[in-house]
Amino acid sequence: MTMQHAHDQAALPFNGVVIIPALNESNNVGAVVREILDHTSLPVVVIDDASTDDTAARARLAGAEVIRLPLQLGAWGATQTGLRYAQARGYDIAITMDADGQHEASHLAELMQPVITGKADVAIGACTARGSRMRRIAWSMMKRSSGLSIEDITSGFRVYNASAISELARRRATLLEYQDIGVLLLLLSKGARIVDVEVAMPPRIGSGSRVFHSWRTVAYYMMYTLLLGLSKRNPRQAY
Amino acid sequence: MVSILTGFIGLAVAAVILVLVRRDKLHVNHALGWVLVAAGFALMGFAPGVFDSLAGILGIHYPPTLALTIAIAILTVKILAMDIERSRNEVRTQRLIQKMAILESELSALHRRSEPSGESPPEKPTSIDT
Repeated sequence: MTMQHAHDQAALPFNGVVIIPALNESNNVGAVVREILDHTSLPVVVIDDASTDDTAARARLAGAEVIRLPLQLGAWGATQTGLRYAQARGYDIAITMDADGQHEASHLAELMQPVITGKADVAIGACTARGSRMRRIAWSMMKRSSGLSIEDITSGFRVYNASAISELARRRATLLEYQDIGVLLLLLSKGARIVDVEVAMPPRIGSGSRVFHSWRTVAYYMMYTLLLGLSKRNPRQAY
Repeated sequence: MVSILTGFIGLAVAAVILVLVRRDKLHVNHALGWVLVAAGFALMGFAPGVFDSLAGILGIHYPPTLALTIAIAILTVKILAMDIERSRNEVRTQRLIQKMAILESELSALHRRSEPSGESPPEKPTSIDT
């Protein structure tokens, strides 16, 4: 840690941690971690979702703490591991970012702002411009079925405050497979204030989306999400 | 003849269940349901008149239809209950995996810290709810 960063850490009015779920991202994870550490003094925790490459070693080398899952739990299972870690360690802010370089650390301060100032419990880095045609269709179906009005439902670039962390660390959130509809509806049911923050996202460096890469997974994902959205509609009444 | 066979199937199922419980292959609470199934088979086999008159009361002209409908209904409920239990087990396993991974990372961090000098005191252990 540089002197500048040490100074930043002392001056920070909150205790935050960056959580990065990663599956076979050995090509990108190092650069992603370094970029975050260049922009902020926050500790970075990479949750290695049972990768078969050296994702864990590269992340550690770049300066991140690494939690290795012995079995693959999926993107949300890995993210929840990070949130449980954040809760257990008493962090009051958790930032989640993808390991593929899609989320730029330069937007961190902007994204954290509404949560740090208490204006929101959750901030979502939204980039509605990034969607392919299929993704846009998916978004509109998801919004319609669930009644959610959040811009970028699938974005993994988020900031959670302590109460959101504790809600999402619970057993109830464990059964979810993805971090979008289910997680957002659960948060809304608890009265969380969620805001969108428009950020630019460059294309992914390496591998594509974990969901939008084959027709079979897209079909499963869409059916899963639509059923979940419909069954938990009007979240205030659902829980 | 068919009804006698059905009755014997019921008795055989009951016997198998007893053996499985005796050998600790089947949890007693699951066995209870299966004993009821066996009893149903036996009843259908050895006292088919019961089903016939029940079907008559319900206005079902062909009694085996009643037996099949009941069987399908029971199986559906059973399979649904199994999936509910499976979901609960998935949550438990997933949370255990998460907890294990967090504790493992903490353990290796402690090892790393104690290796070079052995001076740094261990941090307060992380407490994680299952």
